[in-house]
Amino acid sequence: MAEAKGGKVMSAKEAVQRFVHDRDELVIGNYTVGSCAELCYEIVRQGKKGFTLYSQSGIFDVEVLVAGGCASRLVTTYVLRSGGKKGGSAVERALNAGMLEIEDYTNFDYNARLVAGMHGFSYIQVLEGVMATDLFRKRGFMGENKFRVIKCPYTGKDQLTVPAANPDVCIIHVQRADKSGNAQYWGAMGSVAAAALASKKIIVSCEEIVDHEIIQSSPHLTIIPAYRVSAVVEVPWGAHPTEVLGYYNMDYFMYIGLFSSAAATADGLKAWMDEWIYGCPDRASYIDHYVRRFGSAVLDELRAKPFYSAPANYGSAFTSRWDREGRERSMGVTRPQLEKLLKERGKMYE
Amino acid sequence: MSKAYTLEELLAIAVAKEIHDYENVILGVGVPMTAGALAKALYAPHATLMMESGIVDFRPLLSLNNIADAHSCRGFSYATDLFSTFTATYRGFVDVCFLGVGQVDKYGNLNTTVIGDYEKPTLRLPGSGGAADFISYAKRTVLTMRGGTFVNTLDYLTSPGYLEGGDSRDKTGLFPCGSGPVALISTKGIFRFDPATKEMYLAQIHPGVSLESVKRDVPWDLQVASDLKETPRPTDDEIDFIRDFAPELTAGRELASELRNAHMMKKTDFSQEKVPDGAQVRRLK
Repeated sequence: MAEAKGGKVMSAKEAVQRFVHDRDELVIGNYTVGSCAELCYEIVRQGKKGFTLYSQSGIFDVEVLVAGGCASRLVTTYVLRSGGKKGGSAVERALNAGMLEIEDYTNFDYNARLVAGMHGFSYIQVLEGVMATDLFRKRGFMGENKFRVIKCPYTGKDQLTVPAANPDVCIIHVQRADKSGNAQYWGAMGSVAAAALASKKIIVSCEEIVDHEIIQSSPHLTIIPAYRVSAVVEVPWGAHPTEVLGYYNMDYFMYIGLFSSAAATADGLKAWMDEWIYGCPDRASYIDHYVRRFGSAVLDELRAKPFYSAPANYGSAFTSRWDREGRERSMGVTRPQLEKLLKERGKMYE
Repeated sequence: MSKAYTLEELLAIAVAKEIHDYENVILGVGVPMTAGALAKALYAPHATLMMESGIVDFRPLLSLNNIADAHSCRGFSYATDLFSTFTATYRGFVDVCFLGVGQVDKYGNLNTTVIGDYEKPTLRLPGSGGAADFISYAKRTVLTMRGGTFVNTLDYLTSPGYLEGGDSRDKTGLFPCGSGPVALISTKGIFRFDPATKEMYLAQIHPGVSLESVKRDVPWDLQVASDLKETPRPTDDEIDFIRDFAPELTAGRELASELRNAHMMKKTDFSQEKVPDGAQVRRLK
């Protein structure tokens, strides 16, 4: 990915304007926790339309994108029913209104499609038990291409396969990134890396942008390399009301208390979105609004107490071929000595 | 005589006893999570607890809200991913998994996808998540039931139990032989599956529950074990563990939700004073 003009660091508004388009295949990269709330809200605010939306485990993020009219197709394995058994959900209402088509997979099938896409394969083997279920028998908009059965060329057995997925754009929230896009994420790994790496473009939002040296001292935490990232958006509280490990807990008051009860009805959800999405132009104003309404104590209570990982030693014995005396460690000669020897043997050309 | 208990507590304790020491266990949220923590604390200290989000060998600090909850991430041993957790299950490394029940039929087949028509649902349930793959390949599956229903015919078959019963599951060649559901545990009793017909029967009944009340929930002619046992009363240690770890489970859904709503109302009332300029809300359309 070429470095964006003026660098990759930008606002959520600019990132969505530049890299998310109507009718895209859009994947929510996060799995169950730490969802990219602000990127979803910004997409809703910009009124993007016609997505084929991929979500491994849909929560409020899927509901607001569906209720906001952004998605016409949904590929998923699980969509939380916010309104509970008695209430409705945005997905259920959209299905019944004929505004949304759905394709159901298992967690593994869905993830496997992204893994295939991430590695450049056109399909991938999945776990054949699903062939005994309606997940296999009932086809949505993908029809025959939801699953196909092939013969294993080695064992001759039937194998169940799913097609690769390469979404146009992945939106994802992580703990930290540097300004060129090296994105670090830790905790429940889920399918987060596969969703990002399978995609053609990646928008990363993060709790904080850190110096490149921080990334270099902990490279195992990097799940997306800079060269794949189109935009880096620094958004503190960017996953609220879900949790970000090491930063803040899930906000039950906002999620279960305000969002879920609102999402039970279409009018309730619309009022909630008017207040918390359309009514707040960005995350800073959303947090301001929250603090004005409920005080800062509610948010402060959610802040994570530290529990640091032990530093791992990435050191080596030497950092140079030349020792303190200027001798090469294996040949035992200095650089002038080496050059002299080469000259003597006729190996140097003027 | 041990202390008084709730039926939800009895359910979690019965579920915990399905976990044996040294086993590899896949847990979901709700009852199984509390049961896993209880088993680890009291009966199965060497069990390896795992979640499909890739969190392996963890010990939850408190009852979790979801399978990637931050409170499972303090001091776990292996951070893998979802793909590898399922392939480990496929290869036979998972001894027991636990699944919640939406609709269940007499052969332990499950529906967690939809009630009514698939395209125009009466009730759109969450979907498979990991359920269909786990019940396919874990050596044993334990079904836990708090709000689900027994039906003659599922509206949608999400997760395969014993299919049409008998040897029909094994005959497909799609599953490891002998895998499938071994028990369904509810707040009324424990159901197991006949070794030959694979039909669910009542094996154990919780104290104070009548056979009629169990049968009332089941639309087919439920078979009952000739040696029907009564679930033993929980010990004080078991009860204390659950009340400390998962007080909302002790409270039960109805009371927990009632108290939670009342508590949140207090927060909102208090905060109303902090809205000097509530006029921030802008209507877009």
